[in-house]
Order: sequence, then structure tokens, then C-alpha cells
Amino acid sequence: MNLLKKVPEVVVTIVLIALALTVVLPMLIPMFFVFKTRLEFAYDPWGWPTTIRWDNFIGAWNAIRIDQGLINTLYVSLGAILCTVPPAAMAGYIFARYRSRVTEIIFYLVLAGYFVPALMVLIPLYRLSARMGLANTLPGLFLPMAAFGIPFWTIIYRSFFRGLPEELAEAARIDGAGHLDTFFRVMLPLAKPATFLAGLLVFIGAWSDYLLSLIMLSDQRLFTMQLRVAQFLNNYGVSNMPRYAAGVVISALPTIILYILGHRWILKGTLAGALKG
Amino acid sequence: MQATQIRPRRPRDWRGIVFQAVMLLPAIAFLAIFMYYPIEETFRLSLMRSTGLGDEVYVGFQNYARLFRDAEFRAGFVNVLLWAFWSVVIQIPYSFFVAYALCLYRNHFTRPLRAIFFLANVLPSAITAMLGQFVFAPRYGVIATLAQRFKWTWLQRIDFLGDPDLAFWSIFALATWAYTGFGIVYLMANIEQIPRDIEEAAKLDGANRWQYAWHVVLPMVAYPIRILAILSIVGSLKLFDLPYLMTRGGPGYATTTLGIILYQQGFVNWQYGRAAAIGVVIFLLSLVFTVALFSMQRREGELQ
Repeated sequence: MNLLKKVPEVVVTIVLIALALTVVLPMLIPMFFVFKTRLEFAYDPWGWPTTIRWDNFIGAWNAIRIDQGLINTLYVSLGAILCTVPPAAMAGYIFARYRSRVTEIIFYLVLAGYFVPALMVLIPLYRLSARMGLANTLPGLFLPMAAFGIPFWTIIYRSFFRGLPEELAEAARIDGAGHLDTFFRVMLPLAKPATFLAGLLVFIGAWSDYLLSLIMLSDQRLFTMQLRVAQFLNNYGVSNMPRYAAGVVISALPTIILYILGHRWILKGTLAGALKG
Repeated sequence: MQATQIRPRRPRDWRGIVFQAVMLLPAIAFLAIFMYYPIEETFRLSLMRSTGLGDEVYVGFQNYARLFRDAEFRAGFVNVLLWAFWSVVIQIPYSFFVAYALCLYRNHFTRPLRAIFFLANVLPSAITAMLGQFVFAPRYGVIATLAQRFKWTWLQRIDFLGDPDLAFWSIFALATWAYTGFGIVYLMANIEQIPRDIEEAAKLDGANRWQYAWHVVLPMVAYPIRILAILSIVGSLKLFDLPYLMTRGGPGYATTTLGIILYQQGFVNWQYGRAAAIGVVIFLLSLVFTVALFSMQRREGELQ
């Protein structure tokens, strides 16, 4: 009897695993290609590779200058973290702990920014950065990115700081700590989980950006990884698919590794944002 | 407790006010320069004829009138609304089914699946588009290869990205693959919040699992489902990456979106005014749905 009861569970579990496989398997497609020569690929694209050779990785690396791409993207991602997280933490702290009519109004102004799509303001953004000398520079990419990330992380920090017990700030004040000390010495260290999460997700977001990079960068040397990957197909086409696949693997790997390491945090952070949003 | 009132009191706590101003300044500065000012500029430009060269001339609502006479814009507008409709009708029920099943049967196999379903969400869109190419491409693509192996000639003849009737659906399928993980994780988190005793009560009333899902769980997650619907709709309005990377909006206007047309008007044709007008259209539509989201939140009393 017990066994019969288990039947629906087994069936549903199998269906769920099958659906999960449809998520994972397409990501493994490039693995069929990357170890092949062009000839092997043309002859049998889906066969098992006969030998493991790394030529395609080296070829891709040189063809689209992946080293340059990685440095640029890393620079953009770190710039985005530095410009997004501290302003958001500071503002979130004020909105959580210094509530008054004025700060509430400012908070709603910031909150409204969460709903503005960057797509809408592309033209003025581009013209503005041209006037500020930021067009075709990497800061021209991560400064607007930060502006569009700050509202979300301010909301997260605000709810995080509101969740911390009031007594901590009180204790710090009794010890004679001023506003600044209370924030930097007591509250900010306690917000480490939020800071860690913000760093991780801002990094992944900046690493993955396509649209802003597309409009802001015209100098090939400044191209980010995503632009290089997208360009690869245009420049070399399907004629060198194994090498293309290798480039794709290199550029996808960092986000996948970060996700595997931090998926608990990422899921939590995504939900926190969505539940607030 | 009185001592913890840090907010300015009479006599005014000037140090506290300066501190607040300094702490808010960086965030406000970023937003003012890179968001509020460009928003104002978008509205202004949308009423101008501006090509980046020569003077800007005030033309009233000509840009808007022109847009709605333009076949490409209308195609993009319809595509985006269709996309929004189908994502609500297909992706959300699918997310609910998977989320409910994952919550219902917790075992060694299903527990790790939540993280796996979300995995595709973190892939950069350039990578997602590339995987899509590998699946849909003629000759070497996954589908074409399978069709060849099993001698399904009818399937071999189908050009998933080149056929105007199919391209939209191919990209839609790819987006479903890439983005439903979020809905699954989000609905799971909400289903998990349903108190255990409600489930027990339903069982005592003799409800089976599917009746329980339909009559109890679904009404209880009605609010998150509405939020999800609005997020999908707003996401559809600003759709750009996948259709642009996969087909450049083609063949013809089959997969074009408001985002792609904005990009082309602004950065290919240098018609700033018209591009800004498209930006305003996207903004106003998003605003309508966002206001809808907030009014729902108020009604449900869940706004903190």
C-alpha cells in the first residue's frame, strides 16, 4: 500500500528532473564543440571529441583578445560595485534610522528610480556622457549602471538596517560614538551579509550587461566580454564554430562559478528584492 | 527608548542634519545626474526634431504622430504586447506548476532543483542568445541534427529563425527557458509561507492534492502571481537583448521590439527626437503597470 501511495511522487519527481535537465543540458552544448577542429566539427558536430585539445581556447583568446575583454569587464564590474554599494548602504541607513518627513520623501524619489528602465533614457544618457567626456570610456559604462542599481540596493539596505535591534545604536551612543562612528564602526560591519550579496549581484549584473556596453563603447579595445562574444559571430560567422564556442565558454564561466558558489545568497537576494518590489 | 530617537529635535541637531545630508548625497548625486536629468531630457527631446547635428527644433507631438503612422513601430508595439500576453499566459502557469510540485514533494531529488531552475537566469543574454543559435540553427543546430538523424524531413525543412511566422516563437521559447526560473523561485517562496494547518484542514475536508492546489494554494498566491504578471509585462516592454542578438528584429519586422526600434532610431539613424518619443512611450506604459502594482499592494495591505 505504501508503495502505491508513492507513485504520484515518483512520477512528479521524474517530470521535475526532466524539466531541470532541459535547463541544464543546453548549457552543455558548447562542450561538444570546443575540443574539435573545424574539420571534425563540419564532419560530425555532435560526436564525442576524439582528443581533448585546447587550441580553440587559445584561438578564441587571440581572435577576440579575451585578455583585454576580461580586464575591461573586470574593471567595469569592480567600478559598478564601488559606485553602487557604498552610496546605497549610506542612503539605506539614513532611510532606516533617521526617519522624518524629509527622508521619507527622498526615499520615495529613490524608490521611483527602481521602476525606470535604463532603455528609456538611452539617448540623453549617451549625449550626457559625451558632454562629460565619458563617451567611449569604461567609467561611462559603470557610472550610469550604478545609478540604475542604487535604488534597488538602497531598498535592500534600508530593510536590512531596519531589522537590526535598536539597542545596538543606543549602546554605541552611550559609549560616546557620534553619528559617523555609529554607522561605520557598529552598523556597517553588521550589514556584511547585505554588502556581500550586493557585491555579488552587482558584479554578475555588470558582467552580463549588453545594452549599455553596446551604446557606450565604440573603441574595439574597450569592448567588454559580452560585446566580444556577440561580435564574434558577426566577424567570423559559423565558419569557426568550435572557436566561437570556446569564447562563449570562457565568458560564461565566471557567472556560472559565482552562481554555484553563491546560489543560496543569490536566490535570497533576488527574492528580497522581488518581495519588496 | 527615548534616547534612541536620533531624529532631529528642538533645539535642532545640526550635526545630525549634516550627517544625513552627507550620507544621502552620493546616492542622490548619482540619481540626479544619470537618471532624473536624462528622464527630463527624454521628455524634452521627444518634442524636438534633433539629429545630433544642427539645431534642435520644437515640433510638438510630431514625433509621436509619426511613430504611430510607422509600420515598423506598430509592428514592434504589437510584438511587445503579444510577448507580454503570452508570457503571462504561458510562463506563469508553468512556473506555478513547477513551484507547487517542488513544494509538494520534497525529497533528495527535488530539493536541489530550485537552484538549477534559476541557473539560466544568471546567464548573460549574449550567452543565452548564443545557446539559442546552437539549438535553432539550420544544418548543425540541435533540432536540425536530431531531425536528420531520425529522418524527419518536415522538421529539417523548418527554419526557426528565418521564417517570419516562427522567429517570434523561437525567441519566445528561448526567453521562457532563460527567465522562468525566477517565477518558480518566487512562487515557491510564497507557497512555503502558507501555514501547515491550512494544508491539514484541507486534507481533513477530503481535498486531494490537485484540489488543494486549485482551491487553496492558487488563491493564496494570487497576489504574488499578479506581481509576477506585472513584472513580466514591464519586462516585455523593455525587451531588447534576445531579439536583437538573435535576429536583429527580423525577418522583416517579425521580432522587432520597442527597444530595438529605439536603438535603431537613436544610434543607427541618429533620430534622437523619435527615439526619445519611443522612450517616453515605454516609460508611460511601464508607469501605468507600476501604478497598478502599487494600488494592488495597497489593497492587499502588504506595503510596509
